[in-house]
Amino acid sequence: MSYLIHLSTLFSIYAILGVSLNLLIGYTGLISVMHAAFFGVGAYATALLMTKLGLNFFLAAILGAVISGVIGCAIGWLFARLGGDYYVMGSVAWNFIVVSILINWESLTNGPLGIPGIPKPSLGGFSFGSNVPFLILSLIFLVCVYAISRWVVRSSFGRVIKAVREDEEAARVFGYHTLFFKVAVSGIATAMAGIAGALFASYITFIEPTTFSVMESVLILAIVIFGGFANIRGSLLGAFALVLIPEALRFAGFSADIAANMQQLVYGLVLVLFMLYRPQGLIGEYRF
Amino acid sequence: MDIFAQLLANSVIAGALYTLITLGFNLIYGATKLINMAHGAVAASGGYIVFFLTQTWGWGMIPAVFAGVLGAGVLGAVLDWLIFAPLRRRKARPPVVFTASLGAFTVLQAFLAILFGAQFLALLPAEAADTVSVGGALITSVQLATMGLAALASVGFFLFLRFTTFGKVVRAISDDEEVAKMLGVNTDRIVRIVFFIGSAVAGLAGIMIGLDTGIQPTMGLFIIVEGVIPSIVGGIGNMAGGVIGALLLGFAENFGIWFIPSQWKGAIAFGLLTLFLIFRPQGIMGRK
Repeated sequence: MSYLIHLSTLFSIYAILGVSLNLLIGYTGLISVMHAAFFGVGAYATALLMTKLGLNFFLAAILGAVISGVIGCAIGWLFARLGGDYYVMGSVAWNFIVVSILINWESLTNGPLGIPGIPKPSLGGFSFGSNVPFLILSLIFLVCVYAISRWVVRSSFGRVIKAVREDEEAARVFGYHTLFFKVAVSGIATAMAGIAGALFASYITFIEPTTFSVMESVLILAIVIFGGFANIRGSLLGAFALVLIPEALRFAGFSADIAANMQQLVYGLVLVLFMLYRPQGLIGEYRF
Repeated sequence: MDIFAQLLANSVIAGALYTLITLGFNLIYGATKLINMAHGAVAASGGYIVFFLTQTWGWGMIPAVFAGVLGAGVLGAVLDWLIFAPLRRRKARPPVVFTASLGAFTVLQAFLAILFGAQFLALLPAEAADTVSVGGALITSVQLATMGLAALASVGFFLFLRFTTFGKVVRAISDDEEVAKMLGVNTDRIVRIVFFIGSAVAGLAGIMIGLDTGIQPTMGLFIIVEGVIPSIVGGIGNMAGGVIGALLLGFAENFGIWFIPSQWKGAIAFGLLTLFLIFRPQGIMGRK
């Protein structure tokens, strides 16, 4: 039972990542391979604010999301002005650099050793330390992220970002300042990734730089692709399936380090096979 | 040992390695407009082929290097045959092809880790490194060979693209694949050969890195980032620009550590990229 609760908590964290990345990729057409970097920025910001300044989890998580979102806007502005190829390449480089900063800025991040002993959330004397309350808390965050995303994609704002994806030139002709919309979506999506990072840090109570590598971004991308572009329910489905894959591999009896590589192999195959045979994903509403 | 001379030598050595990576990356981008993420893993595979042949089958180093270069080339051509050619035929849009290449990268990297383990492996025993002194800087024979090969490859690519019929056809495909096809060019075959050549040079880069320091499955990511940054700095797809970008990156990184600690090499590379994205996004040699 506690195992199921553990998986459900992981599911809600990865669902937040998948849904928010879908805003960028599926709706706006910005192929980002750096979502794990913002996941990491949120996790580190929250962990440091809690352990070094003793802030409450909720305050730290919100600040973490803001920091992640502000950096997300800046990076989004830097890459999105220049069109698809630059965005993609720049995003890979940025994720790589964030991990190298987390490893090398030892005075702040404690380097490769990571940050241990991150406290569990508590509010007004009530602790979310045990598994069930924490699961409920992460599900509440997931529902919020889902609701905001749904509102975003159904609003007039959502229609404009879809127009940017379809034909940026045309959207500009109609008077939309498209760069502003791309930067805004970047800010929203990366702030959500920051929230996922805050939950992750507090749930695992220990974070280290390599958790947030490009390979993690590939996993989040696989979640989006599995479920489908431009369908946020699809990303829930993707998170569900891809959180279960490692467990299935473990039941299949692979040893721990082989299993980690097998996981990557499966994520990679998901990307290749979906692109070859079903580029819109299982229930996607858009195909590139 | 003169510090300035040593830094100068290190810059050129790093630039030579980046040149080998960027040449193949740019060649493939030029012909297909594909940001080939698999390029990094193909390069790593070259290093692993040499490791396998010398350690397990007891081959000599020279034939093993030839086999490694050839093997990487074949691997690239096979990837084109299995993944990229079918996508091209379907006129898949760039995000789809990119994602497939990212998947191929992930699969190859996981495959290397399963076969050889995640640890660092040396292609040469440490005592085999013989150094020569050039104008006050110490350079190993491997590094000397890397510089020679990079120069040879750059000149070779230039002459090949400029003066052979094949080179003209590649440039024609790069300008407009449809028109080239209409004029009777077998574009699939040409692109297959382009993949072979580009991947073989990448394999050479992986082998030289392996001989200089060592190989690890995750080196592919480093390779792709260090190949992408010079490519953007020089102007994506521009061969001469790529070489200039590679040298510039080598100099920026090595002279940068005169002023800031050496672990910030990655941040310097990203800083250079950022400067170019803001002030000259088309790159040194690029046309707007």
